[in-house]
Amino acid sequence: MRNAAAIEAADNLDLAGKLRLADVALDVAKKGGASYADFRLCRYQTEYLEVREHRLEESSSGISAGFSVRVLLDGTWGFASSPLATEDEVRKTALRALGVANASQPLQLRKFVLEDLPTYHDRWDMPMKVDPFVVPTNEKIAHMLAINEAAMKAGADYATISFAFVREEKCFASSTGSRITQTRVRSMPDGDVTVIDKDTGKFSSRATLAAPRGSGYDYILGYDFAAEATKAAQQAREKLKARPVEAGDYDLVLDPTNLWLTIHESVGHPTELDRALGWEANFAGTTFCTPDKLGKLQYGSELMNIIADRSQEGGLSTVGYDDDGVRSVGTEFPIIKDGIFVNYQSAIGQAQLIGQKRSNGCAFADSWESFPIQRMPNVSLQPNPKKCSLHDLFADVKKGIYIVGNGSWSIDQQRHNFQFGGQLFYEIKNGKLGGMLRDVAYQGSTVEFWNSMDGIGDKSTYFLGGAPNCGKGQPEQTAPVSHGAVPARFRQVAVLNTERKDIA
Amino acid sequence: MILSEADAQGITNKLLALSKADSCIVTIGGSENRHVRFAQNMATTNGSPSDIEVGVESHFGKKSGSASGTDLSDDALAALVAASENTAKLAPENPEFMPPIGPQKYLTGTAFSSATQSTTSATLAGAILPVLQQAQAKNLQASGFLSIGTSFSSFATSKGLFVYDQETDVLHTVTARTPDGTGAGWAGTTHNDFSKLDVAGMGATAIDKAVRSQNPVRLPPDKYTVILEPSAVSDLLSIMIGEFDQRAADEGRSFATKKGGGSRLGEHVFGKNVTLYSDPNDPLVPGSIYSDDGQPAQRTVWIEGGVLKNLQCERYWAQKSKLAPVPSPTSLTMTGGTTSAADMIKQVKRGLLITRFWYIREVDPQTVLLTGLTRDGVFLIEDGAITKPACNFRFNESPAAMLNKVIAMGPTVRAYGEESIGIPTAVPTLLVDEFTLSSVSDAV
Repeated sequence: MRNAAAIEAADNLDLAGKLRLADVALDVAKKGGASYADFRLCRYQTEYLEVREHRLEESSSGISAGFSVRVLLDGTWGFASSPLATEDEVRKTALRALGVANASQPLQLRKFVLEDLPTYHDRWDMPMKVDPFVVPTNEKIAHMLAINEAAMKAGADYATISFAFVREEKCFASSTGSRITQTRVRSMPDGDVTVIDKDTGKFSSRATLAAPRGSGYDYILGYDFAAEATKAAQQAREKLKARPVEAGDYDLVLDPTNLWLTIHESVGHPTELDRALGWEANFAGTTFCTPDKLGKLQYGSELMNIIADRSQEGGLSTVGYDDDGVRSVGTEFPIIKDGIFVNYQSAIGQAQLIGQKRSNGCAFADSWESFPIQRMPNVSLQPNPKKCSLHDLFADVKKGIYIVGNGSWSIDQQRHNFQFGGQLFYEIKNGKLGGMLRDVAYQGSTVEFWNSMDGIGDKSTYFLGGAPNCGKGQPEQTAPVSHGAVPARFRQVAVLNTERKDIA
Repeated sequence: MILSEADAQGITNKLLALSKADSCIVTIGGSENRHVRFAQNMATTNGSPSDIEVGVESHFGKKSGSASGTDLSDDALAALVAASENTAKLAPENPEFMPPIGPQKYLTGTAFSSATQSTTSATLAGAILPVLQQAQAKNLQASGFLSIGTSFSSFATSKGLFVYDQETDVLHTVTARTPDGTGAGWAGTTHNDFSKLDVAGMGATAIDKAVRSQNPVRLPPDKYTVILEPSAVSDLLSIMIGEFDQRAADEGRSFATKKGGGSRLGEHVFGKNVTLYSDPNDPLVPGSIYSDDGQPAQRTVWIEGGVLKNLQCERYWAQKSKLAPVPSPTSLTMTGGTTSAADMIKQVKRGLLITRFWYIREVDPQTVLLTGLTRDGVFLIEDGAITKPACNFRFNESPAAMLNKVIAMGPTVRAYGEESIGIPTAVPTLLVDEFTLSSVSDAV
């Protein structure tokens, strides 16, 4: 049931009321000497449901609302936030932001300068078929119980499924005159099944391949979780008895359910301009992809085309305007073109530092209490224009492995050395898909790896993966982001066996 | 937003009075923070966030539902109770439902410092300025984050329990890099008391390591004898304690599962020199006085002399298995030794000194096998002395295996790693044998 009373209580501000608060904040900022200021008032409605085996573990809903004021005072940023949306509190918070900027000025050995920012008056709403917040909670729970029922029936010892939903409403106002309101929704399913072998003390899990999406509940209804749960229970059991992989170099065919995360880590993050500028050096890291490589670095093979967009249907980064108020929908740009590194992702105040004109609309703040920083748009590998199926990719592989789904993942802070696992691993022998393998992880170095890609699937094989929780910034913020991918073949990649026999 | 104990109790009482459920739980939490963030020797995204959250969990029989919000107005509080009750009514019965607990006895919290609470943004900037000046003088680029915060939380039940806790937290991390990107050093820690934080000292350590780590030598992947500085140890142990779960062990899906069934409690799972415990009043790392389900946090020994003594055990599983519940920890301490880092170096014929780790993920829960990378200061030790800076490595290693190979320990100190986010930790520097470094990373 939709909690109409709760929504109403938190929604007692109409647009005019929100804009009045914005005017108060921007006025205080201007009088305080800020050369730029913005105000964001946000409201997040959330629902989280989790079912374990045959019982409901958690059913919770939430509303988080508040605002922030950001000021640029003589080249120094100041920022403050509060959950209390009254005129008096907005005034105090704007003064607090000015105070922070003022106090930090002795550290401003180089001043921040912003490009000329365009002005927009607009409203953008994510198109959606079924609003998850109008679907009765008990209907969702019944659906989840049926999914776990299927897993248990198929032999799972344990099964977990969770559905998380978010409605994000943002009202943005800036000192350049922009007034933008936006609404979008995310549907984020997750789950896994586990099987146990009591005699050996071994266990094995298989997680869902379903991705979180910027979609309504229609996405959940359109995915056959029960069929997947049945298959997952059987596959987890099969994995227990699968042949351990022999470490060595293999040709890999990576399913898009695996490859999207490799794209995220080894293409998405290295091409963030704030990392290249050193602004993340203390936490998320820097990047091997330095500005001198722009337009020159052969990042990958000629088959590699990576597009950044904020308009893809279902994309977690799909939005009309970014959190700097820069128009982002319909402004897609290539990051890698025919294998060459051609663009960074940027936020305001960055592009000029590498001789470019303006931000390409990649700022995001994960809450009303977070400072907008540069975050990923949807970053996707483009399909092969020529016809190519998954099975076409197996054809000339003598000794290889086909990897499905995400396992563990890790990459160094400059994005060279990575290690990825998976959910399912199958031997490829002389062009044919063989039996299941276990304990597989692949290691590689970004540029070498992408240059070894010599086959990719066509658009019929395209899959939109994604993560709800990409971490960056201090204090750390988590961003949702999608990555489209097609299956791709990589030659001679190092594979290790991850079983530790020395641990009892 | 910080509510006093009286104000938190006032809002709690309003919510309890509004409740029509059989029983309910009311939680309130809020914080006020100030931070300066800097990179390339200049301030970047400085801020002063403030937040609040109030939550209600309602129960009808064995049905539960919860709702949370950020609005403390009377109308919003009424809507919150209604939302949680509606959610509960729509839920199926949970056979594992446990009724809320009544009044408990708690320790007195020691994690609050008024010196931290009164620290201003200007004081933070003033503490950072000399670090930036030192870095500039040595032609290095300093980046980092200095944050202070005050937070409060309360937990109440319709059975008469009300507990309130207030804490202060300080986090300081600093990285120094050479402009050509061939050297990098790091230092960092958490604290409760800003007045005891040595900001300049940490800056000097990061700068010194950046200078000494330039142009590292590339070494082959191998099993190495390593000296793990406290940040690295903190990361590994923080992840491992998350796996200390009685139910998972009993269900057969944990490193602590015994072959044939049951858990390995009471077994010598780790080396005899290993003792790990949590104590909310530990003077080095005071933690919250209550755990996330309202149970009192108390001194809990996880590993004693290598023996697995306790696993976290939720109330339902404890009742079912006739065990005492073991609440999740609110701080973590490893008992240290007396060997200084300098003396450890003297003991090593060939090995590596590792400053910190990065991007650690679990590869295999069966063995708690983790992978991750070294970062910001790896040094080669030959014949008892540091001889050269070394390249960064990827590791594939299990803390459960590592705790069987500890040769020497330094004194326990408060420590922070980027993966040890959950609870504050105090750990020693460790000298460890046969640590698996599986490939080289070109990152600096």
